[in-house]
Amino acid sequence: MTATLVVDPPPVLSGDLDLSLMATDDASEDARAKRELFEEQALPYMDQLYAAAMRMTRNPSDAADLVQETYVKAFQAFGQFQQGTNLKAWLYRIQTNTFINNYRKNQRNPYQGTIDDLEDWQLGGAESVTQSLSTRSAEAEAIDHMPDSVVKDALQAMPEDFRLAVYFADVEGFSYQEIADIMKTPVGTVMSRLHRGRRLLRESLSDYARERGIGAAPAATPGSTT
Amino acid sequence: MTDCGCDKAKAELEEYLHRELSQQDFEDISEHLAGCDDCSHEHLIGLKLTIKVRQACQEKAPEDLLIAIRTRLENA
Repeated sequence: MTATLVVDPPPVLSGDLDLSLMATDDASEDARAKRELFEEQALPYMDQLYAAAMRMTRNPSDAADLVQETYVKAFQAFGQFQQGTNLKAWLYRIQTNTFINNYRKNQRNPYQGTIDDLEDWQLGGAESVTQSLSTRSAEAEAIDHMPDSVVKDALQAMPEDFRLAVYFADVEGFSYQEIADIMKTPVGTVMSRLHRGRRLLRESLSDYARERGIGAAPAATPGSTT
Repeated sequence: MTDCGCDKAKAELEEYLHRELSQQDFEDISEHLAGCDDCSHEHLIGLKLTIKVRQACQEKAPEDLLIAIRTRLENA
């Protein structure tokens, strides 16, 4: 019995088999180690990437798809990532690229130029922000009490480039240079998108507050209770 | 040292808020804001807007997303 067990397999073949098995083990061990390193470093950003994806795609199922796609691409390119540099910015760059290439072209923009070429008046709601101090205290107060859903709706209604600039700067705290790298645009354009985006947002929140009579704005209409 | 005045402060409030100014400009504007109600109110609104946006945009990914990603990475 013991003899057959030792003698049975042809020696050459068994040697080959053993070697190839060991090689696959090593390779899969390597692959697993690489995947574990990637998961450990990159997965903590999942919620943030998802929140950004929601601002990009504006719906939960596309957002989830976009984040998945981002992670697959990032994993495939992980060898090119330089350890010690900003992984979060790197992931955002991949996600923004993926969004622009895969999703944005599905949403046909009737305006063929870029949003940066539009004048403020064409964007609407660009009335002067010069106000009295008391009006502004009311405005600050109103912003404090603004429901999150209203802020999100206002963001979603904004032109995409403005929305993303505001998101990257104010939510993620990226520097202008980092945003420029992510959006592949000069720093000056980032500044202009951010300024205009924030002004639009501020105006749309003010409009909301005025319509609801929040913050004791002078022309509050009574009876618009919800 | 010298107050930079409302024009410069207002023009650079956004960069001030986003910490994109040189140390010198940052100090100049801080000093102006300390003495100017008008500009500091304007700054306060900008600050509140940032805080509000940040707060409103916190989101949790759906529970199954993590599993979906892990599965795709294993098969990548």
